[in-house]
Amino acid sequence: MTDDDHLPAYLLAALRMAAGADPVPARVSQAARDAFALRLPGAVVAAPYEIEPAVGARSEGRPAIHRFAADGVTLDVEVTLTDGRLDVAGQVSPAPGADTLIEVRTPDTGRSRAPSDTGHFAVTGLPPGWVSVVCRRPGRAPVATRWLHVRD
Amino acid sequence: MFAEKTFPVPDQAAWEELVTRFGGRMWAVARACGLGPADAADAVQGAWLRMVESLDAIRDPERIGAWLVTTTRHEAVRLARRARGERPAADRLPELLAPDPAAPDPAASVADADYGRRLWSRLEGLAEPCRSLLRLYALNPDAKYAQISMRLGLPMGSIGPTRSRCMSRLRALIEEER
Repeated sequence: MTDDDHLPAYLLAALRMAAGADPVPARVSQAARDAFALRLPGAVVAAPYEIEPAVGARSEGRPAIHRFAADGVTLDVEVTLTDGRLDVAGQVSPAPGADTLIEVRTPDTGRSRAPSDTGHFAVTGLPPGWVSVVCRRPGRAPVATRWLHVRD
Repeated sequence: MFAEKTFPVPDQAAWEELVTRFGGRMWAVARACGLGPADAADAVQGAWLRMVESLDAIRDPERIGAWLVTTTRHEAVRLARRARGERPAADRLPELLAPDPAAPDPAASVADADYGRRLWSRLEGLAEPCRSLLRLYALNPDAKYAQISMRLGLPMGSIGPTRSRCMSRLRALIEEER
């Protein structure tokens, strides 16, 4: 993308800011302040890896799979929106040892699960929006997926 | 190598100062990309989350603001595409990546109220339909193409391109000041 493509948006933003036409809502600023508490010092951020081409676009009731990998861990994360709620299922591989915990995080909540022997995990009924999966292994740095946006 | 000029990992107070300084710009940029309030809130929150996960990679304090604004634009463009019904396809991977902290948009610093005041002072010098179109857009963030089309008597399909052209003209007027 060239500079010219996004210049109009920046100019429009400047005009509106000067006019006070559309100030940032308080809840947006609050969410921004709260985001700092979501950092995981020492965590390894898992970048998106190869995504399976056969999987279609996400839509109501249809899962989308995202693969993340870092520090010897692969996290397959499957997100599904059903009736406005977000379900997250997935698999950590290689198969996790004892005491490995998977935490599925949204900006407002976190739910921990012990994965099965085969590394499967699931959390249902989350609010849609941003979500991240963290794999906590004893004696190792946590591995966190990049934040993923899931909404209708 | 010395690390003396690197950005120290902020504490909560330093973080909140970043929110105070750049939160308004990020919101304005998300909205200027055509997003409604709910999507704009998601785009801005996404940029802060990218910041959280990129803290270790951010080295240049001078560029943090530009990077936050650029990252907001990236997230906003992605959400705007989705709102238009464009489904992410083979290029989904890049969407999950934050912009390079070392290479924010060169024009990101334009998203600033002081610059906006200079733009307003020049806007009156524009010919029609630019003057009315830009005023309408700037003062009515949720105006739809159909409403603008009716108000100004312009064909719907020409509004986007006309707006871009008018913005470029406005920028050119500012550049002449120097």
